[in-house]
Amino acid sequence: MHPDDMEALRGIFRTEARELLMGMERAILMLESTQDPEVLKGLFRAVHTLKGNCLMMGFPDASELVHSVEDLLQMFVARTLPASASVVTLLLQSVDALRMLLGVPGEGRVAADVDPAVIQGRLMQTARAGGTAGEPPVLGKVRGVLPEALGELPAPERTLRVGLDRLDRLLDLTGEIAISRGRLTAMLEQAERHSPAELLEAHQETDRLYLDLQELVLKARLVPIGRAFQPFARTLWELGAATGKQVRLETGGEDVEVDTTVVELIRDPLTHLVRNAVDHGIELPGVRQARGKPPTGTLRIHARQEAGAIVVQVSDDGVGLNRERILQKARATGLLGPNEERDDAELFQLIFAPGFSTAERITELSGRGIGMDVVWRNIEMLRGSISIETREGAGTSFTLRLPLTLSIIEGFCVGVGEDTYVLPLENVFECVELPLEERGTGATGLLHLRGHALPYLRLREHFAAEGPRPERESVVIVGHGRDFRAGLAVDSLLGQAQTVIKPLSKLFQHLPGLSGSAILGTGRVALVLDVSSLLRSLLPRPFIRVA
Amino acid sequence: MSSSSSSSSSSATTLSQYLSFFLEDEEYALGILQVKEIIEYSAVTRIPGAPPWLRGVTNLRGSVLPVVDLAVKLGLPPGKVSRRACIVVVEGVLRGEKIVMGLLIDTIGQVLDFTPEELEPLPAFGTPIPIDFLTGMGRVGSKFVLLLDIGRILGSQELQVAEALRTTDPAFERLSKRGLP
Repeated sequence: MHPDDMEALRGIFRTEARELLMGMERAILMLESTQDPEVLKGLFRAVHTLKGNCLMMGFPDASELVHSVEDLLQMFVARTLPASASVVTLLLQSVDALRMLLGVPGEGRVAADVDPAVIQGRLMQTARAGGTAGEPPVLGKVRGVLPEALGELPAPERTLRVGLDRLDRLLDLTGEIAISRGRLTAMLEQAERHSPAELLEAHQETDRLYLDLQELVLKARLVPIGRAFQPFARTLWELGAATGKQVRLETGGEDVEVDTTVVELIRDPLTHLVRNAVDHGIELPGVRQARGKPPTGTLRIHARQEAGAIVVQVSDDGVGLNRERILQKARATGLLGPNEERDDAELFQLIFAPGFSTAERITELSGRGIGMDVVWRNIEMLRGSISIETREGAGTSFTLRLPLTLSIIEGFCVGVGEDTYVLPLENVFECVELPLEERGTGATGLLHLRGHALPYLRLREHFAAEGPRPERESVVIVGHGRDFRAGLAVDSLLGQAQTVIKPLSKLFQHLPGLSGSAILGTGRVALVLDVSSLLRSLLPRPFIRVA
Repeated sequence: MSSSSSSSSSSATTLSQYLSFFLEDEEYALGILQVKEIIEYSAVTRIPGAPPWLRGVTNLRGSVLPVVDLAVKLGLPPGKVSRRACIVVVEGVLRGEKIVMGLLIDTIGQVLDFTPEELEPLPAFGTPIPIDFLTGMGRVGSKFVLLLDIGRILGSQELQVAEALRTTDPAFERLSKRGLP
């Protein structure tokens, strides 16, 4: 076989192995709590498939390891081995070892340092001993070495699974477009027999199909966000074991569909929030009981879709943020002056500062004050916003609001200088003409709207646009959710249009106020404004609301 | 297509092809394998807040192409856009990922074939642009054409974007200004 073909085969094998391992991990975690024979059967199938694949693709070590896992599972079936915590740990470590042997990335976790040979020995020993497994090796003690052959892995190909029915719809639609186009061509060849209205109608028919196709193609990129939540079952299990805390994971809204990039980018912030919640939020079982709470804490990760945005909420029912301690720490580190006061919203914002931590000691989990900074940065990068709600003693909830990165939006086009900008229609509330007395050159101003003073931003000045100043200016009243209203003064209102958002190049990814670009009917590129980040760059503090 | 282009050592042994173009009446050239295509300059949309060497974005058959003002990038006065202005589409690497971008140039020159003897090493100083951005010089008759190291030129962008970020992001500024021990 040609080496390239072999490499391609291995690529497919790795993608498959990655999914199998993820499934195994999930099933192993369920072993402890469920008696459902289907879980065990499913696990068996996954293990068996993996063993066959490993052998075929030339990973004898991995196949041997899988074989030992299979032996152990056999004992579960025969009920000679109970699913004790130590056996579950051992099985989870086997999954890590397999990931390493096969060169498959771990799911959002730092690759564990495990020595496959040690795991292999332990598995066989456990199987021989008939379940009296002794203490499994501690994670992180032995450092494994990647086999030579896997030293230089090619970057994994970015792939996406698309439902076959979606693909079929795409195919159907392409067929319909072909027919419709043929009809249009036939009509145009004998254009004199048809009225312009008929031709236009035929064209619009094709056009409609084409828009359907466009929408479907975009939808093909969408995946359920639940894929980003899956690894946390294991994370929580491990954190619980490490801290002696009992935490139950509750997830919701896994089927909310988001662009595949969101799933990739949201993993890190979520990991930090989950670790923080367990380490700082949720109390030890004894403490919880003393406070009249159930001994097992609950961590909820919930996703939902709100107009044009994905909202992901991570909440715990732990101690909540300690206002006093944050204030003290902020004063001690010089973030605030010795007698400086802040309202809750601004104070809690400080926990996102790099290096800020109120933990008394640094644990393996957290306390270095890096995590929240990472959360902040990543969410900023996705042009999202974070809000914190907390009640002392009752828990904390972080709400991440992420804009849809790639989609068709209803847009509202405005002209500024020589350029056209697109505002997401859901951010646009109304349009008014700028009163004569406000006509000027300032970058900002105040507008009287039905008895209220409304701040506005002149985009022409803000963006330093070129071109002659217009005769009249209009103000678009924009907002974000219920909380914010502001005006954007523009040269002209161009009206509503469906817009396909295209992500801007990586080069422009950090510019505040822009969320993407769209290609106009004229072939020019228009920029799509991100209203919330545009307003945020003007307002003294970001969107942080405290209950 | 290779985008790392410290190719002066390898090009010394083979016949190499370059595409030349003009900036400020000076002739520069790029390894021909680094050029994806050449398009006419039209309708570049300015990006507010972007650093000056980023001219904007344009529509390349339905995808959005960032356009770099090569002159500014090389430390020359900003490129004039005449009727003969073109965009040379090249591939660069940013944070380990390939990105396609356009270079704005004054006019396209020609395709040059250099034998190893016609390639000269760089002088210690005296070039109109920083020596870091060059891989060598090619002799055409009595004149010299400066050979650009596109990997270096575009590779230096990452830092500059980060710099631009620092000054435009108030949230970041606020947090960093207060400083933490």
